[in-house]
Amino acid sequence: MDTVAEPAPYGAAEPDDDEVARRFAAGDEQALAWAYERYAARVHGMAVRAFGPGPDAEDVTQQVFVSAWTGRAGYRPEQGPLPAWLTGVCRHKIADTWARRDRQRRAAEAALAEAQSPVAGPAPVDATVADRVLLLGELDRLGQPQRGIIELAFFADLTHTQIAERTGLPLGTVKSHIRRTLERLRDRLEVDGAALHA
Amino acid sequence: MPHCTPEELALAALREPLPDDAAAHLAGCASCTGEVSRLRRAVDVLAVPELADPGPPVAPPPALWAGIAAATGVATAPRPGVVAASAPPADPVPDVPPAPLVPAARPEPGPVAPVVPLRPRRSRLLLAAAAALVVGLGIGAGAVALSGRDDDGVAVAEAVLDPLEDSGASGSAAVVEREDGTRVLRVELAADAPPEGYYEAWLLTESVTGLVPLGVVRPGTEDFQLPAGLDLGEYPVVDVSVEPLDGDPAHSGLSVARGQLS
Repeated sequence: MDTVAEPAPYGAAEPDDDEVARRFAAGDEQALAWAYERYAARVHGMAVRAFGPGPDAEDVTQQVFVSAWTGRAGYRPEQGPLPAWLTGVCRHKIADTWARRDRQRRAAEAALAEAQSPVAGPAPVDATVADRVLLLGELDRLGQPQRGIIELAFFADLTHTQIAERTGLPLGTVKSHIRRTLERLRDRLEVDGAALHA
Repeated sequence: MPHCTPEELALAALREPLPDDAAAHLAGCASCTGEVSRLRRAVDVLAVPELADPGPPVAPPPALWAGIAAATGVATAPRPGVVAASAPPADPVPDVPPAPLVPAARPEPGPVAPVVPLRPRRSRLLLAAAAALVVGLGIGAGAVALSGRDDDGVAVAEAVLDPLEDSGASGSAAVVEREDGTRVLRVELAADAPPEGYYEAWLLTESVTGLVPLGVVRPGTEDFQLPAGLDLGEYPVVDVSVEPLDGDPAHSGLSVARGQLS
């Protein structure tokens, strides 16, 4: 046996979510097991929603926990709860999987085109798939509260009024953060997006 | 009419409705419309259902952890039963079960059934803490007799247990308060013996996020002592499950009958 499983002792008091997050960030291996117990079904639910049940979804879920663990230095408990961070990691893995599928599609089409007509150019990149990877990366660069605000707009489908209620921030602040973030994402798409697709 | 403000353009890109005058201007202004569509590209790229906040949880297959352990080298492991119990089946049953719960056409129970709350063991620990806090505040003391005096106590609440999933199990339950102030839950269960395992009685919160195990119940009538201070307003749902003899004290998720105390 390569790994020896050590289940937590039954009856031992379990830490609350904040404690799990803190210990996860600190590299406590037990915290990874607790995080998996608590959040794997949420993560896997997202993966299954994107790809249906099966190997692709399972790969995504596995990658989320592996890369969350190896990249735990990038998680700051004071910036938000651990499950929300895992959700963000899961978005990246879903977008990466789409991009990988797109590369495979183009490779297959290129092979086919090569066989049929040697002068045909490479199959076009699916721009949306590439843009998604680009913009998720840009979201990671946003500080709080900008990031939380735009995520509520994009991923929780809340209006700016609902976001203000949820976060307790003034309406004007929420509106101005939304504007600045959308302008930033627009610039990123128009500058780097274009270069990427060229 | 002036151009829309940058904030209005951003909200329009998110497809939020604008005030009438701004909306009227936007409809006729190529410059503003053009800016909205530039901003909207990011919205359309990211605000897709696949990337939305997590929807229904789905328990990953048990073998999945092995890959994570191999890639990370960690020597700990999640408890498979806790992971499995952290998600309801794809076909969810409403959380609040005051009425008979007979989901339409669910041919056979899935591997994990509808009622398991998230992380039952932890809920139970929380519950223990909660119960400790409410000692003395339970509904027992002041409860009004609803159905007269039993031979050894007063029934203060009752429930009809309706079958789940065509289980064929049904029955009734009553909370009986005895003269010394203690309470029992009396369960009358009409059911065939389960093909495997045993029946267990539980009290659940309405949202099915907390549960109190009461013990093994056989077809017929059984009494279960209720913990002192348990707030039945908080745990009003009587649940009977089938539990495998696997040594795992958590709820199996396979409920056969349920009803709400009132």
